[in-house]
Amino acid sequence: MLCLRELQRWKPVLCRYGNTGVRSFAVAADEAGRTEGGLVNMENPYREPQKGCVLCDVTVDFKNIQLLSQFISPHTGRIYGRHITGLCGRKQKEVSKAIKKAQSMGFMSVTHKHPQFMKDPNICGIKHLD
Amino acid sequence: MPRYELALILKQMQRPETAAALRRTVETLMERGALVRDLENLGERQLPYRMTKHNQRHSRGTYFLVDFYAAPSMLSSVMDHLHRDVDVVRPTVLKKDAQVPNSNCCGPQK
Repeated sequence: MLCLRELQRWKPVLCRYGNTGVRSFAVAADEAGRTEGGLVNMENPYREPQKGCVLCDVTVDFKNIQLLSQFISPHTGRIYGRHITGLCGRKQKEVSKAIKKAQSMGFMSVTHKHPQFMKDPNICGIKHLD
Repeated sequence: MPRYELALILKQMQRPETAAALRRTVETLMERGALVRDLENLGERQLPYRMTKHNQRHSRGTYFLVDFYAAPSMLSSVMDHLHRDVDVVRPTVLKKDAQVPNSNCCGPQK
């Protein structure tokens, strides 16, 4: 308790001097964007295009049980989490909601995956032992 | 009027009886002032799990999808009618939302 009080008192003193050891990177630029030393103001040329998730341009529907079955476990029928499917927040929620809807409406099974869809490509990052 | 979708599961019957059941359902909807837009047959297949309805255990059924426009107030009476129909295994009415544009999903630049 006492040491916390002391630290609070010391904090402003430490900040007053600032980071004297670090050099500032702001360099004066002229009109054409060129600076001394030939640096040009442009966006990062090595920037990779933003990757989307697997279902970025795909509409998720409760009728499309083949697609939804790719995100459930073949043994137990449980829905895989975000860390396994690799989907973005929005699509994960849509898939999850569609699976629950399909299950309650009698389109998809709850406890297992339809045997017809067992041979589908594995898009989730999970490897089964068998 | 808002747009609804009826996912209908009928029990395994011969073709004329299925047709009669469908006709009954659509007439029920139209009687209550709905405008039926589309009727799709998703085929006869094995149900994902066995369903018990009207003292019968069903393992196979025919799936139908009915698109219609209706007033929200008449939905409860429609559902009541469908639940009492012996040939219907599971009726579900869903609201059909306008498609959300996928353009800004995850921000990909393909």
